[in-house]
Amino acid sequence: MGLMDKLFGWMKSKKKTACILCIGLDNSGKTTIINHLKSPESSHQDVVPTVGFNVEKFMMSNLVFTVFDMSGQGRYRNLWEHYYKETNGIIFVVDSADKLRMAVAKDELDQLLKHPSVAAKRIPILFFANKMDVRDALSAVKCTKLLGLESLKEKPWHICASNATTGEGLNEGVGWLSEQLQTLRP
Amino acid sequence: MVAIYITLLQVFILSSIYIKMTSEDQDEKEKHSNWLNAHYDPVAGFYTFSTCITFADLNGDGDHKLVIADLGTGLYNMTIKVLKGTSIIQENTLLDLPTGVTSVYMDLAEPRTPGVVVASGSGLFVYKSMRPYYKYNLPLLPVLPEEAVLWDQANNENLDPLTLAEALDGLKKSHPTSSFTARTSHFLQIENDADARQFVDDHKHKPLKRETVITCVTTIKKSMAEDDAISCIVVGTEHKQVYIIDSEAFTPLQDYEIASVPVIVNVSGLFDVDFRMFAACRDGCVYVLKKDSLQSRVCIELDSSIVGMERIHKHLIFALADKTFSCYTTRGKQIWNLQLPADVLCTAVMDHRAKGFKAVLVGLDNSEVRVYREKNLVDIIKLNDRPQALCFGRYGREDSTLVAVLASGALQVMILKRTAEYADHSSHKGPPMSQKMKLNIPKKTQLFVDQTVRERENGTKMFQNFQHDLQLMRLSVAQTYLKGLQSSMTPLSDDPSMPLKLSATVRGIGPVFQMLLTIENTAAISLNDPKLATGLIVLFKYSDTIYSIKPLVLELPALAPEISYKFAVRIHCIASDRPAQDTITALIVKRGTKKPLVTANISMPVSEGVIVV
Repeated sequence: MGLMDKLFGWMKSKKKTACILCIGLDNSGKTTIINHLKSPESSHQDVVPTVGFNVEKFMMSNLVFTVFDMSGQGRYRNLWEHYYKETNGIIFVVDSADKLRMAVAKDELDQLLKHPSVAAKRIPILFFANKMDVRDALSAVKCTKLLGLESLKEKPWHICASNATTGEGLNEGVGWLSEQLQTLRP
Repeated sequence: MVAIYITLLQVFILSSIYIKMTSEDQDEKEKHSNWLNAHYDPVAGFYTFSTCITFADLNGDGDHKLVIADLGTGLYNMTIKVLKGTSIIQENTLLDLPTGVTSVYMDLAEPRTPGVVVASGSGLFVYKSMRPYYKYNLPLLPVLPEEAVLWDQANNENLDPLTLAEALDGLKKSHPTSSFTARTSHFLQIENDADARQFVDDHKHKPLKRETVITCVTTIKKSMAEDDAISCIVVGTEHKQVYIIDSEAFTPLQDYEIASVPVIVNVSGLFDVDFRMFAACRDGCVYVLKKDSLQSRVCIELDSSIVGMERIHKHLIFALADKTFSCYTTRGKQIWNLQLPADVLCTAVMDHRAKGFKAVLVGLDNSEVRVYREKNLVDIIKLNDRPQALCFGRYGREDSTLVAVLASGALQVMILKRTAEYADHSSHKGPPMSQKMKLNIPKKTQLFVDQTVRERENGTKMFQNFQHDLQLMRLSVAQTYLKGLQSSMTPLSDDPSMPLKLSATVRGIGPVFQMLLTIENTAAISLNDPKLATGLIVLFKYSDTIYSIKPLVLELPALAPEISYKFAVRIHCIASDRPAQDTITALIVKRGTKKPLVTANISMPVSEGVIVV
């Protein structure tokens, strides 16, 4: 019955839904970010490395987000591209404390942008420069530079410094994303 | 013949394709590399070698650190450094130059954290959680009794330093240098008498010890093959020994004597089950050591000094000082041998577990790192300088990271791309792929096959026939020529006293023609002899039913050499009722001789009929 109730609820409110893909390297904090965005009662307490992917649903600023929280481990990264086609927006999480793997993040981003189903659409991309609380973490500006985002002209993008454990910067980023989604699909 | 032609054509086409392919390959190589440049620190200031670098999960949290034993300046500032990401997080001072670093799981305590073992001088320094944990000294070696007696006497002041030095020098002649203690070696280097006295005084109360020096260090798993299983430490020494040391109790479990000084030791197997050790030595030989026998056996003898030895499955791969790169079985049989373009500086194994292959990385003097998968060169990594040390493994959270310490002290970290592909075949060496491509050669017809068979079977006979016919033709040509000369049938005279040349042209369309005779005396001009040709007449031989010629006889004047004389003769074609054509022969005759000097056959053109108006 619970499912039916939910369905009817949707029908009544006619809220817009958005399909979001949350990607980034392993240990960058994707699951933690998604957990924080969900309502506090349904979020998990401890986060373990994601295997495959998780699907989460939550509401924010009149939009129903369906988030695919992908695993960032090397062996699961080839799953990402199968979800590019249906997605309306992308959240790309970067561990701003991991300078060494910034090159790997850039490589993955380049592959994402080169993918035909992403290149053809004007999808908004939200970057989280996560773990800003770590002592020698890079600033959002530095991350922008290292990821080569200045040359990304064909897509709307936004970068926020964030701290997923306390939730700092997350609402700003998701606010931008929902704004983009609403303007793109009137 | 046809077959040869086709082969030539094939060679030409292939070579042109090859040239095209190689240029394409180079373009492609520049476009995308398999490696990401993750970090480059030109002022890192490391001075280290491949044996002094290792990756270890020091905190047991899955975040692998890079441990570098730095040789400092080579004399001072020896340190052991731990790097996380791009920064140094810990640094410990070492007392002596490090010769090797390895990480060892020593116990089963959770979380599983390995100890770092630094081999330096004659001892092993063990660090746990990067704090000094234990120092193990290798067993002392026996001191020469004569040497001990001499030092004893010196200590009791029965022997003055000068006589001690003389006695030790004398002893040195009968024993190899390596059998003396370090104290003797130092003492013999002192030249000043006062200093020598001071030296003896300083060392009076210290026991005389003969220590060895560790040359290489590695590990062997004790009873289980897991990555985090307890290991033993394997140590090679300057005194031609190999020790296996228990890492829990720090006691030597086994020791081997070999014929030379080991520089690289490679271990396979488990200590408790069965194992085999390959010790590459300074004499260019590889000795094999087994669990059940304490005897070492020569396995491979190499032509040059060994720079790097790596084991891939059951093959040993060597990089030698003479730029050769070769592979041997563990039984000592050579499988392949390659020549490298530059001197080898270091080697490392690239064990890519996700893709399931192992390759050998060879750092060369031309700042390249070449990746060899078996004998195929699959990749070339360009570094910013000559690599001094290479290490491939899991760094941070990235499984396939290559750390290179460059000759300038710089640190370069490269990460293998997720999408990197290493094909089985070599992309740079050997024949290009296009050579395997089939060409569209037309099918062999029956005729072609028959001809080829005939050519193959009767080759000799065909050649002989051809030669025979050629000779016959040459003979017949010569005979005709001779006949012509003998009967003066040619327009050139062969008489040396009267060399003449005759040529004729016919003008007109008939029935009246004009024949223009050009006669030349071809004798060379000389001042004292005019060489005039005198008394010559021209006669014509012709059919009088067709032609009438005027004048019939042409009296020639004296002909001077090198001047061509022209004479016109009028020829009337009298056979006007039909189109006539014949040959007229002009002869130059000397008065009083029967044989003509020169003959010219002039074929007349067809004469037009008489037009009656």
